[in-house]
Amino acid sequence: MSGFEDADTEETVTCLQMTVYHPGYQRSGIFQSIRFFNREKLSSSEVVKFGRNSNTCHYTFQDKQVSRVQFSLQLFKKFGSSVLSFEIKNMSKRTNLIVDNKELGYLNKMDLPYKCMVRFGDYQFLIEKEDGESLEFFEIQFTLSTTPLLQENNWLPEPIPECGGYSSSSTQNNSPIEMGENEW
Amino acid sequence: MSILTYHFRNHSHKSPSSDPPQPRPTPSRELTATGSEPDVPLEVRLLSMEKPLTVLRVSLHHPTPGLATFANVPQRLQHDTSPLLVGRGPDAHLRLELPHLSRRHLSLEPYLEKGGTLLTFNLKALSRKSCVWVNGLTLRFLEQVPLSTISRVAFSGIQMVVHIEGGTSLEAFVCCFHLSPSPLIDRPQAEETDEWEGVPQERPPPAPGQQAPGHLGFLHGPGPSQPSPGRATETQLQREPPDSALRQPLWSPRASLD
Repeated sequence: MSGFEDADTEETVTCLQMTVYHPGYQRSGIFQSIRFFNREKLSSSEVVKFGRNSNTCHYTFQDKQVSRVQFSLQLFKKFGSSVLSFEIKNMSKRTNLIVDNKELGYLNKMDLPYKCMVRFGDYQFLIEKEDGESLEFFEIQFTLSTTPLLQENNWLPEPIPECGGYSSSSTQNNSPIEMGENEW
Repeated sequence: MSILTYHFRNHSHKSPSSDPPQPRPTPSRELTATGSEPDVPLEVRLLSMEKPLTVLRVSLHHPTPGLATFANVPQRLQHDTSPLLVGRGPDAHLRLELPHLSRRHLSLEPYLEKGGTLLTFNLKALSRKSCVWVNGLTLRFLEQVPLSTISRVAFSGIQMVVHIEGGTSLEAFVCCFHLSPSPLIDRPQAEETDEWEGVPQERPPPAPGQQAPGHLGFLHGPGPSQPSPGRATETQLQREPPDSALRQPLWSPRASLD
């Protein structure tokens, strides 16, 4: 009997693709703790924290301007849905978290869209969810971008005349993203 | 991170009329308590950075007397803003000794609504094997619901009523536990699943003068629970659905939760 033929059917796993950019990524080693292109498997009940403190965070950034715990992600299941959704929560008292055009203060949280831009300070994260069947596990994969993600504007829904430079090709949201308002 | 102050000494159903022992103030927190007379409400407010902490007054009941289910339940538990885990496992912040309870059965997660100043709490089901019933909703693994000011929760035979008293501190919150010898959630006489069709998911308005079986006696002693200013006393209880209804709810999911 072949082991392959008798093995349990594998379930696909929800994966969060996180492409990250920071203008100082080469000089300061801020991403030295991140294993890029590695799909890390995590329990679906895990609260995944991102920040500077390696004792409490799954993913750490070697940057004193990052809060000890900057933000967190966790899975949940919506009523009547068979797929898993993500929630993002700002854990920083000092810095607001911007998700697309929505600003989250300390302990504010929101559902993570399928594809979105998350920003705090000089950090930019393009986050995309790939649905999977498994309710037990999910994966996170980091990719490093050497160019600013905000210039990749083909996913924003409509032009923003005041700031310029955006084109519409997505229905993710239809509100302008204001730049330069926050202290970076 | 949780800070346990002290545990209940008597693990059997604690009489709500006995005065709890006075807690020793923790070094970094000022504990304010007013009145030592049994009939004077004992105000338990922990001050942090001169802002009052949110208090969750949690009443617990298990129908089988003499079990050590609540042996590890402290009288007060202060916790930071990370999710508070409830379950059988060693990493649970509120450990309940029940064999068929999951190691991580549910969590209470504080957060802030956009524009809000008081902590809101999300209850999330973490058990893969059993459901959690919350205010008429049945939660399966990873489903979650925000708690209302008074919430009725049932899981694995345990009944839990949570009363949130908001405080402005965003550093931590405190749970005050009370063990109820009598049921907290009324049970239906007949297990008819079709009784749950059309049952409103929001709690019904309280009937004036109606006393719930198993009153919510908090640390200040017996008697009807004292309503918070501006809020009516919650006296009508929702019925816990039969086990079959827990597995197959007949009502539609709450659209407002999306």
